[in-house]
Amino acid sequence: MVESYAIIYVLGAIIALTIILMSLAFLFKALKRAKAIGMDSKVVTETIKNSAIFSIVPSIPIVIGIGIMMQFVGLAIPWIRLTVIGALQYEILALDAAGGTVIGADAKTIATAVVIMTISIISGPLFNAIFYKKYQTKLLELQQKNERKMNAITGALLGGMLAGIMSSLIVGGFFGIGNPVTDAGTGITTYGEITLITLAASVVLTGICGIILFVGKQKWIESYTLPISILGALAVAFLFVPVFA
Amino acid sequence: MKKFDILSTATTREGHNNQMHFLGRCFTWAALIIICLVPIAYCIAAGVAPDWKTLGACMSFVAGYWVIGLIEAFSYAPLLGTGGQYLSFITGNVANLKLPASLNAQTVAKVEPGSEEQEIISTIAIAVSSIVTTIIIAIGLIPLALFQAEIVEVLKPISPYVVPAIFGGLTMALLAKYFKAVAIPFVLCIIICVVGNLIGLGDSLSQSTMIIVGMVLSSISTLVMYKLGKV
Repeated sequence: MVESYAIIYVLGAIIALTIILMSLAFLFKALKRAKAIGMDSKVVTETIKNSAIFSIVPSIPIVIGIGIMMQFVGLAIPWIRLTVIGALQYEILALDAAGGTVIGADAKTIATAVVIMTISIISGPLFNAIFYKKYQTKLLELQQKNERKMNAITGALLGGMLAGIMSSLIVGGFFGIGNPVTDAGTGITTYGEITLITLAASVVLTGICGIILFVGKQKWIESYTLPISILGALAVAFLFVPVFA
Repeated sequence: MKKFDILSTATTREGHNNQMHFLGRCFTWAALIIICLVPIAYCIAAGVAPDWKTLGACMSFVAGYWVIGLIEAFSYAPLLGTGGQYLSFITGNVANLKLPASLNAQTVAKVEPGSEEQEIISTIAIAVSSIVTTIIIAIGLIPLALFQAEIVEVLKPISPYVVPAIFGGLTMALLAKYFKAVAIPFVLCIIICVVGNLIGLGDSLSQSTMIIVGMVLSSISTLVMYKLGKV
């Protein structure tokens, strides 16, 4: 395995600690404000519980991503890259651009790849650090002046995101039937059939939870609908992988 | 001069917002500095310099990511709220983890769009999600260091299906509320994806590309509907 230097682990620990401190600071301020404006404490507690449960399953592919990257660059660098803004597909592309998607790449190649990975992702945080406050003030002004317009904008952005992802999944799934795609960098194979089956399983499970909620009047299930549908759909995907692989 | 106390509980939404911006900016700069120290520390520890020629050749690639980063920061801002925006653009995984966590929490809490309650719920959801993910990744390092090959072999085959597992259910939950905003861009995105795949451009139409395409199309269609008084 590629060597990871102690200093990189130390920096990784500092980054993880910074993120936890940052999250706790925001959480603390939001909880205090929620209390100040009289929000129901049950709703707040439910949000914390819900978000924690929801986040477990989608975090697992990040760990797998570290496992995939560590064969090229050791353990410490993927830990840092995937703890901060990086995402596996972007990191692999940066690694490939530097010639680093080869097992046993030299230190110079890895250093070049890490520089590319780092500078590629700084525009978003820089935007936030310099311009976001001004931008958000304008958004709040618009919200106060013309609520209907602001709601239309946020609805459009959210609707566009859902439309973009769902169309990519559905069409990509149909075109992938009988034509599995293997990513050259990660070696991960995607089967169109399983993409569509997983999507359908997630929709069906959400529908079943909806029936239990509205017809069976089981209100508790509302908080667990998404975690149930994600876990259930992934279990279905797990069962179908050997069928198509 | 008005006293700015970061530890006190703000009495107004504006005051709370200012505190969030102050915290967000401080932590963003701190995180950026530490992130930028990583390649420097690696070069010193390994006793090498980056290959400047390769770096120069990769600048168009880097510029592409700068543009994507700016578009994402600009377009996700109205959806994430103040705290969520700062946190999401340090911790990443916005579309596949932070935003779904926020939307799920907002749906369960039944908060009004644009309200302060929505902002607070979104911040709490994204903060909790960031803590959970950071801890899971850190814990995951131990088994990875010991059994990397076995873990990757078992879990790798299902990793492409996490996004459809999240968005199938999430879309169902949000469809009734945002049907008008989703319908037209969805049809247009489907047409673009089908045509793109038929002419051999399917690889270029990844989920991240289609999110931006969907947001542009949705903004245009919503603007038309807004002018016609339909939304």
